[in-house]
Amino acid sequence: MTVMSFNAGLKGLLLSAIVLAAGAWSTARADSANNPDAALIERGRYLANAGDCVACHTEPGGKLMAGGLAVATPIGPIISTNITPSKADGIGDYSVEEFSAALRRGIRRDGQGLYPAMPYTSYAKITDEDVAALYAYFMQIVPSVDHKPTETALPFPFNIRFSMRVWNWLFLDAKPYTNDPAQSAEWNRGAYLTLGLAHCGACHTPRNILMAEQNSRLLAGADLGTWFAPNITSDRNSGVGLWSVEDLIHYMRDGHAHGKAQAAGPMAEAIDNSLRHMREGDLRAIASFIKTVPAIHDNADAKPAFEWGAAGGDLNAIRGVAVPTNRDQWGGEQLYNAYCATCHQAEGQGSFDGGLPSLFHNTTLGRTNTSNLVMVILDGVHREPDVDMPGFAHELTDSQIGTLANFIIRQFGNPSGSVTARQVDALRAGGESGMWMVWIARLLIVAVVLSVVGIAVTLILRGRRAERGTV
Amino acid sequence: MPDIAVADFVVIGSGIIGSTVARKLAQAGASVLILEAGPRVTRAEIVARFRNSPRRSDWMSPYPPAPWAPHPIYQPQSNNYLVQAGPYPYEAEYVRQVGGTTWHWAAHAWRNVPNDFRIKSLYNVGVDWPLEYDDLEPYYQEAEVLMGVSGAPNTGSPRKKPFPMEPVAEPFAMRRIRERLASAYEVVTNTTARNSRTYDGRPACCGNNSCQPICPIDAQYHGGLAAHAAEAAGARLIPDANVYRLDHDEQGRISAALYYDPDKISHRVTGKTFIVAANGIESPRLLLLSASDKFPRGLANSSDMVGRNLMDHPSTSLTFDADEDLWLGRGPQSPSSIGVMRDGSFRAEHAPYRLDFTNISRVVSATSALIDQGVYGDEFARRLRYSAARELNVKNVLEILPDPNHRITLSDQKDAMGIPKPQAHYSINDYTKKGHERSQQDFRRIAELLGGSNLRFSKDGAYANNQHICGTLSMGSDPKASVCDQWARAHDHENLYLAGTGVLPTCGTCNSTENGMAVALRTVHHILFEHKASDAPASPRAG
Repeated sequence: MTVMSFNAGLKGLLLSAIVLAAGAWSTARADSANNPDAALIERGRYLANAGDCVACHTEPGGKLMAGGLAVATPIGPIISTNITPSKADGIGDYSVEEFSAALRRGIRRDGQGLYPAMPYTSYAKITDEDVAALYAYFMQIVPSVDHKPTETALPFPFNIRFSMRVWNWLFLDAKPYTNDPAQSAEWNRGAYLTLGLAHCGACHTPRNILMAEQNSRLLAGADLGTWFAPNITSDRNSGVGLWSVEDLIHYMRDGHAHGKAQAAGPMAEAIDNSLRHMREGDLRAIASFIKTVPAIHDNADAKPAFEWGAAGGDLNAIRGVAVPTNRDQWGGEQLYNAYCATCHQAEGQGSFDGGLPSLFHNTTLGRTNTSNLVMVILDGVHREPDVDMPGFAHELTDSQIGTLANFIIRQFGNPSGSVTARQVDALRAGGESGMWMVWIARLLIVAVVLSVVGIAVTLILRGRRAERGTV
Repeated sequence: MPDIAVADFVVIGSGIIGSTVARKLAQAGASVLILEAGPRVTRAEIVARFRNSPRRSDWMSPYPPAPWAPHPIYQPQSNNYLVQAGPYPYEAEYVRQVGGTTWHWAAHAWRNVPNDFRIKSLYNVGVDWPLEYDDLEPYYQEAEVLMGVSGAPNTGSPRKKPFPMEPVAEPFAMRRIRERLASAYEVVTNTTARNSRTYDGRPACCGNNSCQPICPIDAQYHGGLAAHAAEAAGARLIPDANVYRLDHDEQGRISAALYYDPDKISHRVTGKTFIVAANGIESPRLLLLSASDKFPRGLANSSDMVGRNLMDHPSTSLTFDADEDLWLGRGPQSPSSIGVMRDGSFRAEHAPYRLDFTNISRVVSATSALIDQGVYGDEFARRLRYSAARELNVKNVLEILPDPNHRITLSDQKDAMGIPKPQAHYSINDYTKKGHERSQQDFRRIAELLGGSNLRFSKDGAYANNQHICGTLSMGSDPKASVCDQWARAHDHENLYLAGTGVLPTCGTCNSTENGMAVALRTVHHILFEHKASDAPASPRAG
């Protein structure tokens, strides 16, 4: 249920601006000599950034932490709440214990359960001290906003929030992170952040049928409906085992690891809002931890995604050849020439400094899962401070994107990957619908009710027989 | 006549100005219909045609005209669409397709200088505008924000708010020119609608140096983007709709636009208000084509001024070799210029001008020149390298004064749809020639300061054209001497507005697009908030 639909770009930009502005302001307030909580508040501000609270709790152009953003999930939009210290509409009346219960156990002040679109199963790892710091930041620094966002209204049975108690009983490990004495302080810090506030698993760990993260497949990669969050375990071919710690730091800080990958979609947002503002020591800790996450291997991955492809292509072959009037009849080279080659260059080599990335040695083209390639062509790449590959959703048809994607896969990527027009159509529409989950849940309920009724009937019948002394 | 469409506003022409007008009206809640004579073309097709063209320096080669809506073509031979009546040829280039001619521009988005609006009062030449610089200032700003404009602060056009972004990085050649001319001239960064950073969802210029004929990444603003924005705002755009006539009612109000589709089937569109934004040649042509018993000289033409006072910017130039390697071609094509001769008391005697440095790669032109001279082999490689590194070009951008004899009329010849072609009557008058003569001393001084050798002045008496078509729908206070009022409303028709560079009554020394945009944005504001309510949608909201 944490599948998020992101309008990257402007939103990310606005959110980052808000984070920065809020950061500057809070720093100013926190530094004031009169505030005994200054250090605590500053720590809370940093942690709120690490937790990327704004990503969901601030609307594009909206007030900081005032909620109202509709987070698309397969079963319908979940609307984020106002977590400013407003007593009327926010969390102004929350005690630190109530704040902690919401953050780490998904329980609101009124006792109702939160939906796990709020990554409280990750935040459960946060220590008591850090909860106190976050509480101080939210209560003392975030400006109070009296505004109540629309209530989330999911279809039955997910509208019954009590069901979340059962879900929590099944899937929530509410124990805060404890250091592993066998590991270094850096590793422990990395584990604490990765598994906790940074909630990397929310996207990168596959989920079970009830949408809970599968701990046995930690960070093994997951389809988010549109974008694909790749395997970032230590596996050499399927994961990031052959990335250096420096590569991972560059990626998290700059959104770009030269000769390997660049962030787009929700990962670009996570970088814009959160990761790039983190201390290098913390990024190093996360990278060090991720490098030790148990390898999960997919036999389809014959070599690392970033190793595929080489410079090549012969655009000269299409010079002087008139382009067909029917745009769906353009060849892959023609589409590449017209839409891509200006920046990615004639042989896919990009610019000398990687500012315009090469298409070979590029994970987006090295995977058999081609969703991210299609999403990039549709929506572009938008990252702070100034990365803006345009999207072509409004210019290219599904069939053209299929032709273009298959050409660049063949030319620069992993030839096991392929793209169909139908896939483009589905991704353009926001991914396959998850309404099947609603029906499965309803069927399960019907099955449970029927079996309860059946058992009751059986018991009643037995009882009657007993009464009649026929047993 | 099938397909009777109805709208509050019918905009004829989907170029950068017509589309922007449509966008603003649609944002205000009005129903807006845009009729575009030419086809819808994507940037990719233009890029593909440009890269495939054997004539890279012919900026029209990626824009083949549609048979049902032709535009002038001169290479490899003229299609004779714009008929030349002389005495001096007026070889205007423009593009009839969705988005219009700014698909293909250097993105110069200059404001006039304040005195450009009052040259009659100040210098006793030309005419005064019916409005002043301060009237346009907020609309210049609005246009600059829409288009993403940047530039130097010191170009003689005062501004109340900053540009929305910093200029694109100064190319090395321009830096050297600025440094080496500093003792005599201030070389300024041009005011252009080109991104120096991500802006409005478009990337920053990465220096393809093909602004003309096509920016392959939309780092510069153009009419295709404006048309897209208009449609996104709710305007309906019909491409391939070649308007050949406007009808009027008994009161002289415009009642319908008639257009041919590519099969020459006629369609009729009715509306409350009509805005003709089909460029400085096609707009007067349409008004002249719409002559009726009641308006025998054509619409909006009781003054007989429709099509007259045709102006552009003639240019002469100097090409020379500098004494250091400068390598033109990195960055945008037209980054820097000198503005000292844009205004002064000399305007009583001769044309003012801007001095403009090209930054177009010299490789294509030097190659052609060497081949023409029969140079081959190692000698060719050596000399090409030398020319590509050293060659510079500076041109003047000369003002031309309004002259009723310079005009667009209807030709006896007809285009493929059977519609009379436009015909140009044009000459270069003494005022402009004297400006050219004055500029020669600047050319020489510039060459001297750059250690220039091999000075090649453009051919005597030959003036290149800059495709800044002005004056043919001039605005003015006197209905007997102008076509429209200061709001660009036709003097003769209550519900007919004109939008585009044709309404500019003088041409100054800068590219006309931003001036046309600002006037049109002022027109929109007038329609929505100042003119009587019947023209405006029920509840206008600022867009």
